[in-house]
Amino acid sequence: MDRNQITKWLKSPGKMAHKYSLHAVYFCTGCGIIEIPPVITTRWDAERFGIIPVATPRQGNLFMITGYVALKTLKAIIRTYEQMPDPKYTVGFGSCPINGGMYWDSYNTIKHLDKYIPVDGWIAGCMPRPEAVFIGVTHLWTLIDKGMADGYLRYRKNYAAYRRNQEMVLGELDWPPLYPAAGETEEVTQ
Amino acid sequence: MVTRIIQIVLSPLIALVVGVLFVGLSRKIIARIHRRYGPPIYQPVIDVVRMMSQRSISHGALFELGVVFALAGSFVTVLFIPIGGTEVLGRAYPLAHGVLCPLSGSGGLLVVIYLMLLAPLGLALGAGASANPNASIGVSRKLLLALAYEVPFLLIILTVMSHYQTISITEIVARQQQTAWGVLSMPLSAVAAFLILPAMLGIRPFDLAGAPQEIASGPLAEYGGRYLALLALQKAVHLFVVIALFVDLFLGGGVNLATFLLKMLAVFLVVETISAVLPRVKIENAVKFCWKWPTGLALLQMVITVLSK
Repeated sequence: MDRNQITKWLKSPGKMAHKYSLHAVYFCTGCGIIEIPPVITTRWDAERFGIIPVATPRQGNLFMITGYVALKTLKAIIRTYEQMPDPKYTVGFGSCPINGGMYWDSYNTIKHLDKYIPVDGWIAGCMPRPEAVFIGVTHLWTLIDKGMADGYLRYRKNYAAYRRNQEMVLGELDWPPLYPAAGETEEVTQ
Repeated sequence: MVTRIIQIVLSPLIALVVGVLFVGLSRKIIARIHRRYGPPIYQPVIDVVRMMSQRSISHGALFELGVVFALAGSFVTVLFIPIGGTEVLGRAYPLAHGVLCPLSGSGGLLVVIYLMLLAPLGLALGAGASANPNASIGVSRKLLLALAYEVPFLLIILTVMSHYQTISITEIVARQQQTAWGVLSMPLSAVAAFLILPAMLGIRPFDLAGAPQEIASGPLAEYGGRYLALLALQKAVHLFVVIALFVDLFLGGGVNLATFLLKMLAVFLVVETISAVLPRVKIENAVKFCWKWPTGLALLQMVITVLSK
C-alpha cells in the first residue's frame, strides 16, 4: 500500500475500498467482450487492482457495457443496473454505447446509452485495447476520489426523466419503478 | 475462569484474522501459479469493507437469519477446537489449563461433527428464502457434497476416536505429542482426510456449489452488500476450522499458537497448490470420488485400527 494513502483510508474507508475493490459485472452485448478475457487473465491481470468479474449484479459495483445496445438488450441492461446495490459505477466500453458507432443508422440499436441509464465514464475505441481499460479504471479512481462518479445519485434524482426515456423506446415497462416517488426520496449519504 | 472468558473472546478473533489472511494468501498463490502478479494479501479486507459500505438488499427475515446462522455456527465451532498449547521456549505455562481451547472440557469431536453442519444448513436456509433458481441448484449441490464428504469424514473421526479411546480433542492432541503423530499411527485415515479437504473447504476441484460460471455463484446469487461481507467472513472462519481440525487430528496440534499456525500454513499451502491446477468436477463425479477413494481408505484404516487393538 502506498504510504501517502493511509490518511485517505482513515478519512473515508468506504470510498477507498470502492476504488480498490471494483467487482465488475460485464454485460457482454457485442464484440467488446473479446477484450475482457485478456484483461482479467494472465496477460494483463486486472486482479492486481482488485478488479475481478462477479457472477451476479447483486455482488458487483462496476457495470461495464461492452458493445452495441439493441433494444432488447437495453431492457436487460436497465434491469441489471437496477438490481445492483448502491454505490455503483457504470462504464461504457467501445464506440457503440457512446454514439452508436458503426450502428449509427440502425433502426434497432440505441445511439446514446446515457439517455437511459447514467454512465460515469467512457472508454472510446473500436475496439479499445486492454491498456485502455486500465486507463479507464485510473480515470474512474480519480472520479471516485473527487466524488464525481455519482451516476447512481443522478439516477435517483432524475429517475422520472430516465424512466420517461426508457419508456419512449421500449414502450410500457413491465416492472414497477425503482423509485416510485422520484424527486422526493431522502438524501443519500456516501 | 477469567482466562476462559478471555479465550472465548480471543479464539474466534484469531480464527477470523488468520482465516481472512489465508483467503488473501490463496488468491495470491493462485495468481502466482497462473503467472500473474496477483492482488495484495489484504485484498479480502478491502472487499469486506467495500461490501459493508454498499446498500444491502434483503429478501425477508429468513434471508438475513440464514447468514447469522451460518456465521454463528462457524464461530461456535472454533470454541471447541484447540489451537495449540501454552508452551513457549521449552517452558510450559500452566496458564489456561495448558491448552488454548475455551471449551476444552466439554463436547469434543462429537460436538464438532454436529456444529460443522450448521454453516451449510444456515446458508441453505438463507439461499432458499431468496427463491432464486441458481441458489436452489447451488444449495442442492452443497448439501449433496456435504453428504459425499460426511461419509469418509465420519469414518475418519470414528477411527481416530477408537485409536485414542477418547472423544476429547485436547486429549487426542496430548497423546499425539507424547507418542507419534496421527499421520504416522493412522496413515490411511490421514490420506483420506487430505483427499476430502478441498470438498470440505469448497475449493477446486470441488467448488461446484458456488460455481460462478455455471450457476452464478450458487447460494450467494442473491446476496449483496453486508450479507455478502458476513458470508465472506464465514468462509474464512470455516477455512480456519477445517484446517485446524486436520492439524489437531493428524499433525499433533501445536505446543503453542505459533507452531500450530505454521502447521496450518503448511497444510493450507499444499492443499491450495494442488487445487489451483485442477479443474472443476461435476457433482456426480464428486460424490463418486468421495465414496470410492477416501471412504475405502478410511474403512481400511478403521479395520486395521480396530483389529490391532
